[in-house]
Amino acid sequence: MNTELLKKLMTTQGVSGGESAISARIRDMISPYVDTCYNDDLGNLIAVKNGNGGRHKKIMLCAHMDEIGFIVTYIEDSGLVRFATIGGINFTAYSYTAVQSSKGVKGVLVPEGDVPAGSITFDKCYIDIGAKDKKDAERRVSVGDYFAVEPSLTRLMGSRIAGRPMDDRAGCAALIMIAEKLAERGCSDDVYYVFSVQEEVGCRGAKPASFAIAPDLAIVYDVTRTGDTPGCKPMAVKLGGGAAIKIKDSSVICHAQTVGELIETAKANKIKYQCEVLTAGGTDTSSIQMSGVGCRAAAISIPTRYIHTGVEMIDTADLEATVALTVAYIGENK
Amino acid sequence: MKRLEGVELLKYLCQIQGPTGSEERVAAAIREQLSDLDRIEITGDKGGNLIVAYTGEHHAARVMVSAHMDEVGMMINDITDDGYIKFACLGGIDPRVLCGRGVTLMGEAGDIPGVIASKAIHHQTADERRTATTADKMYINIGAENKEEAQKHVAIGDSATFRAEFYEFGNGLLCGKAIDDRLGCAVMIEVLRRLVDGGVKLPYDVYFCFTTREEIGLSGAQTAAQSIGPNVAIVLESTAVADIAGVKDNSRVAKLGEGGAVSLADRSTIYDKALIDYAFDTAKKNDIKAQIKKYISGGNDAGHIHKSGRGVRSLAISAPTRYLHSASCVASAADFESIKQLVYAMLCGGKLA
Repeated sequence: MNTELLKKLMTTQGVSGGESAISARIRDMISPYVDTCYNDDLGNLIAVKNGNGGRHKKIMLCAHMDEIGFIVTYIEDSGLVRFATIGGINFTAYSYTAVQSSKGVKGVLVPEGDVPAGSITFDKCYIDIGAKDKKDAERRVSVGDYFAVEPSLTRLMGSRIAGRPMDDRAGCAALIMIAEKLAERGCSDDVYYVFSVQEEVGCRGAKPASFAIAPDLAIVYDVTRTGDTPGCKPMAVKLGGGAAIKIKDSSVICHAQTVGELIETAKANKIKYQCEVLTAGGTDTSSIQMSGVGCRAAAISIPTRYIHTGVEMIDTADLEATVALTVAYIGENK
Repeated sequence: MKRLEGVELLKYLCQIQGPTGSEERVAAAIREQLSDLDRIEITGDKGGNLIVAYTGEHHAARVMVSAHMDEVGMMINDITDDGYIKFACLGGIDPRVLCGRGVTLMGEAGDIPGVIASKAIHHQTADERRTATTADKMYINIGAENKEEAQKHVAIGDSATFRAEFYEFGNGLLCGKAIDDRLGCAVMIEVLRRLVDGGVKLPYDVYFCFTTREEIGLSGAQTAAQSIGPNVAIVLESTAVADIAGVKDNSRVAKLGEGGAVSLADRSTIYDKALIDYAFDTAKKNDIKAQIKKYISGGNDAGHIHKSGRGVRSLAISAPTRYLHSASCVASAADFESIKQLVYAMLCGGKLA
């Protein structure tokens, strides 16, 4: 798979609550394949491809465009920058890493010297941007600015790649690839491509987006963890095992009939798939399912190792299977 | 009705019993204080929220301003054979601020005083002295000799609040129970009066929502927002501060006397950047003190409001308050004044929506 599309998405920052840059980037990328694009009051990007059939059901495909990161809360007299976390930060993974602000300021994230490795918390860390003192730092950084760990993308063996933020730019990539294919082939239903905000802080953006759209069916695209590395909790999902059709996670039980149809579609089209039961972690699927009067909600996950680190790993074959499964399903069924 | 103003109004509101789920008296007092205003429409909803509409000229948008009426308190869940009252906390209360405190129980036959008791230090074991007694091991003594006598005054399900004097001390500091969030309620009353008295014409409709049940999960604001369907929300709150001895500067949330604390984010909401900027621009232009709430903690009604309907751009302005959720919350009269001025100026500035 050509990873240029994914790379474009990964190198644009969008920490939860500060998604305007990534939203603009995605808008540019998807607009050739849709009829209209708009942002709602919370910042969700909604791209609509009108259906060419008479039935006009509304299908919502959703991936979150935000990523985990940091928000500046205080600048020390020394010029070191204090922050709070946005989303679930693993400080084992994120200590001593290069970070970058939403305004492009570079820095390094470092724990205080006397903190034992296992007990690092955000208030025991700081970002060093190389400023000489507070005044110097304030030229480049203000309280409220966002920082994120520097993006990266490394090609590994076969069709595997590692970097960040795969969560959930891989899902965003899937949506854009689906939009391209459906624009080519045509679709009888209206398709709403929703790039949601603030998933990492509690699946907040998708709820109002779904309320406004009131879809008949929604499918969510997000990463899910795998059970195929040493020391990890048992889980049936494997990297390279195909598109992961979600049965449930800790926030949602997916619409059983839709799950069944997705499995049938995968079998009929010889698309590699696996079933996912995630025991810890939630997705936008639950927000969408319960928004407004509720809707049929399902999710197709992209198996990912080392989630919420700088080396999130996917197999691009799984991503391609996810796209193929969706295109086949939406075409034949809904 | 006597129109109460400023600290007198706040004192009056703080001394009313309004634990989570039993906000009726607070709502009645607010209605009474607004009763001499024309040009407003007051409605109460089924969840106990009081919604005051101030209709604008152009109806360009709907702005929701909200503060919660409820305060932390206790609910009776058992009465022992020897007449002691067992209780559960309504909202998060540190058990260490409960012991020895006077309370007012809201019985059907009328309010009665009581005191939260636990084992006297003389009778405690060495272990007991080192650990905080939890609320479920405490009881309220109302002076009843036995269960039967206690049941004449109170029943399971009745609520109680701290019984505490409201007073001014130091350099413009205010101490009392329920400052969280009667201060926000007082701000809304006085902003409403200023709008009505001045005959101010706004480009949008403003809904001042006095909400219920914030302290146990923000449920009043959720239904209020759903029925109003606002485009923009301003939540007025009290925030815990850590501007006390022993806390490093980078961990201090906000400072008393430095104006309303505008939140960047908390555990329930990431606030709208454009609204935050508008708040500070307005403060600067009008020479009103305001500060950033710089520690990401807590949550408030915005948590539900911003996700309601099609999504609502939200802002929170909090009064920095020491010793929050105790019988002795401490806030600053100057901050109370600054917040009033800021909210009024932001509404009149016309750039909310």
